[in-house]
Amino acid sequence: MSDIDIKRISYLAKLKLPSEKEEFYSNSLKDIIKWVDNLKKVDTSKTEPLHNVTEKTVSIRNDEVSKSNCVDDVLSNAPERAQNFFKVPKVVE
Amino acid sequence: MKNSISQIKKALIEKKISVSELYDEYLAKAKSGNNNSFNLVIDRENNISSINDSQNRYDNGNPLPLDGIPLGIKDLFCTKGIRTTASSKILSNFIPNYESFVTQQLLNDGSIFIGKNNCDEFAMGSSNETSYFGPVINPWKNKNSQKDNLVPGGSSGGSAAAVAEGSCVASMGTDTGGSIRQPASLCGIVGLKPTFGSCSRWGIVAFASSLDQAGPLTNCVEDAAYILNSINKHDFNDSTSSNHQREDYLTDINNSLEKKIKIGIPSDYLEDVSEDILNQIDNTKQALSKHGIEFIDVEFKTTEYALSTYYILAPAEASSNLARYDGVRYGIREDGESLDDIYLNSRTKGFGDEVTRRILIGAYVLSAGYYDAYYRQAQKVRRLIKNDFQRILNDVDFILTPTTPNEAFKIGDKLDPISMYKNDIYTVPTSLAGLPGISIPSGLSKNGLPLGVQFIGNYFEEKTLLQLAALAEKELSFNE
Repeated sequence: MSDIDIKRISYLAKLKLPSEKEEFYSNSLKDIIKWVDNLKKVDTSKTEPLHNVTEKTVSIRNDEVSKSNCVDDVLSNAPERAQNFFKVPKVVE
Repeated sequence: MKNSISQIKKALIEKKISVSELYDEYLAKAKSGNNNSFNLVIDRENNISSINDSQNRYDNGNPLPLDGIPLGIKDLFCTKGIRTTASSKILSNFIPNYESFVTQQLLNDGSIFIGKNNCDEFAMGSSNETSYFGPVINPWKNKNSQKDNLVPGGSSGGSAAAVAEGSCVASMGTDTGGSIRQPASLCGIVGLKPTFGSCSRWGIVAFASSLDQAGPLTNCVEDAAYILNSINKHDFNDSTSSNHQREDYLTDINNSLEKKIKIGIPSDYLEDVSEDILNQIDNTKQALSKHGIEFIDVEFKTTEYALSTYYILAPAEASSNLARYDGVRYGIREDGESLDDIYLNSRTKGFGDEVTRRILIGAYVLSAGYYDAYYRQAQKVRRLIKNDFQRILNDVDFILTPTTPNEAFKIGDKLDPISMYKNDIYTVPTSLAGLPGISIPSGLSKNGLPLGVQFIGNYFEEKTLLQLAALAEKELSFNE
């Protein structure tokens, strides 16, 4: 197992770990990755990955219009809104 | 003994109690809040029309299947107009505009919601200690150290504690790696995780979508059948919802199983277990042997890989599912100068330690250079685990295991994440295989704490699984 770059991983996850907690998470992650490393010894050369255990859930329905996710409903939990939009700081200069 | 749904319905039909009196009785217990089992209790005013409608149906002689029954709902199910937090700071102000599929079915059948049960944050935990609203206390005490507060298990710990303390008749929980069965076992009640794909995930705050499944926590097996009848339906809004024909789980639940039953006991599950746990298996075996049920030893080849597989797949799916919490569309926002700062600040301040840890594990195993070695390999091993179960279920009708490796432990006792993860050793393999499992109380430990056993059945065979569990329950029942 190579070293874990906790800064990179946390940025990928869009988390800004406080510096005093970086080591805590880094060590914890190392322990857990070491713990799950035993999977590497399993021979899976002839095994397909499993995504959905029941593997038989294709359902077809009629394409009918229904009313859901109306603008006011969707925006009702927004921390900030402006008219019919979510409001965030300016993104383009 | 607590009253079952059928006993309560009988009392309502015979007018020994009114829907309103029944509701008040449970509401008072829920409001006392001694064990912190509710994040929110729904005020009487907000339920008054449901109470009156329900009473009218009883008065007119046509009550619905769950009419007037006070239920708890894990705070992971979206409930229209009622705050739904997943026990997380990041959702602490979230009021859904829609009702989850499962809770809608329960409302359609006349039940009345008492409140939203506390749980581990985003259902990540096995002790209900990761909740933003504080830990839940198990109503049971160790008879040798009465003053200690014990965990109820998790993640549906509030649901289990609420049913055990009698502040709701039953509660809806969710189970990803054991989150219904493990707390049910530690609180001395019944917990059913149906087959993956039975009950719609639509409107349940997502943790790991290939594993999450809704199910009931109840006082008895028959109550679990009542709830399953209501919630086990196909739903177009969940692409993994199965469209197979559902059965009536209540009819014949107390009749003996028709054919001769063979149950497998995995010997590899019982290595190094305590005497307390071994006793549960022995007692169950003895009790059921009287009914002509045959027991044979079976052995899994993949048990040692189950937790590793789970702790790659579940965090990977969680890190993807929890990417939606960005401080823009719902949930709390922590301000920042740029949009990126808003993402970073909201997520960092909004998630607790365990959720942060799992997002990090997920991001790591999905990141470039590690995806094949961890995530893809775990998905392949998951197939081997599923095949392993199918091999054994070719020889036996059911599998009997302990539900948990230990009794309820003290709050604050397990600080190391890996020792916490090991709590789910008997429930995680079933979850990975997607099979149905039910935990029923089987006896008390030397410390006087409840323990449970788990029966595992074949895909979508909840009917016979419940019949077997009802039979075992009759033989094993113990009084508090």
